[in-house]
Amino acid sequence: MHAKLGVWALLLTLTLTGCANLKEVREYAGESAKFSAYTELTERFRDTYYREQPYLTGEAERLAQVNDIKRKAAYDDLLTIHQRVALYMQTLARLSGEDTFDLSGNLDSLAGGIKEHPDLGIDKQQVDAIADLANVVTRWATASQQQRAVREMIKAGDAPLQTTLQGMKRLVRYYRASHENEKRTVLGFFEVELPYVEDPEHRLLATLARAHLQAKEAEYQAVQPQYEAAAQGIERIAEGHRKLLENIDDLTSQAVRDSIKRFAKDIKAIRKDIQSIEG
Amino acid sequence: MALANEMEVEAFAQCLTECADAIHERIKAAIKNREIERDQAQSMFQEESLLRQRANGLYIDAANSVVAGLTEPQDALLAAIDNANDRIQQIKEIAGFIDLVTDLAVLAAAVSAAKPAPILAALKEVKEDVDAVNSQHS
Repeated sequence: MHAKLGVWALLLTLTLTGCANLKEVREYAGESAKFSAYTELTERFRDTYYREQPYLTGEAERLAQVNDIKRKAAYDDLLTIHQRVALYMQTLARLSGEDTFDLSGNLDSLAGGIKEHPDLGIDKQQVDAIADLANVVTRWATASQQQRAVREMIKAGDAPLQTTLQGMKRLVRYYRASHENEKRTVLGFFEVELPYVEDPEHRLLATLARAHLQAKEAEYQAVQPQYEAAAQGIERIAEGHRKLLENIDDLTSQAVRDSIKRFAKDIKAIRKDIQSIEG
Repeated sequence: MALANEMEVEAFAQCLTECADAIHERIKAAIKNREIERDQAQSMFQEESLLRQRANGLYIDAANSVVAGLTEPQDALLAAIDNANDRIQQIKEIAGFIDLVTDLAVLAAAVSAAKPAPILAALKEVKEDVDAVNSQHS
């Protein structure tokens, strides 16, 4: 009787410790992956010439064409950076996934497979007991395997990830500066030209120009906050990963899980914000 | 070294942008005070746009420099990704082995019960499991 109780206590302990509890890491990585896959600003950077071309003439137009070729040439490499970070985060999410290291399906089929042959004289109850035990022990073993694998990935990934994210932040800064110059070229064009068509003779032209200017102003105003949001999102991803590394041996403690959860929430909120700006 | 270079390029681009901004303010003031004709305003605006294009060209150079500096970190990230995928693969292999063990247990039972039909059936299962485990290596 006592022996039986002891076995159950052991099983219970194993079951509890057998849970890897990486839900928050998974959520953080999942949200970071979605965020890194956001390439709107990179595309906008690539398409600069298309938007500014109507407002350019002469030497400035010629130089703009050269820049256009350079931007288009750089685009694939810029996209690769997004993709690489997204892939890293997707893989981290998968590695910390609930089912990735789950072998209970295979173990159930083990028990089922053996029970299919009652004619061979195997006791059903024994099979169930062994299967249950195997289940618990395996879950315990795979959970620690999973934790080790996740730790290994975070340790190996942190330095290159931090460098890459800092690089992405710089890129966002260049996109933004470039966007400012485009905006001032387009809006500046109207500031220079409109005063010369204010007489009644050109009323139609001035009105059309003003209406068009309104649309352009609205467009630029809508894009502006996205640069700030993108930089913030990248920073939160970097801080989140740093937090994971700092607490690498303590990933399942409640305090760490709570703080990782906050990072996931922030990153998601910033992404939603950007999407609502777009929409 | 790349970083210092980027910073310099960025600072210079910023400088050109500020120059263009100053020209723009000057054009606006001149137009307001009726100091210049339309064609003069237009050619000044072209100069301003040219400076902005030069600045934007430098931002592209700086971006390319960031990309070049990220080659190594990107490779390291890929290595971490590959390593993680290997770990996931290992678990799949263990799953394959559990299937194998199941069928071996059935085979052993069939052999000890000395029944030819289940022995043959179990052997077939075992062979499939072994194939499955092997295929995960390729």
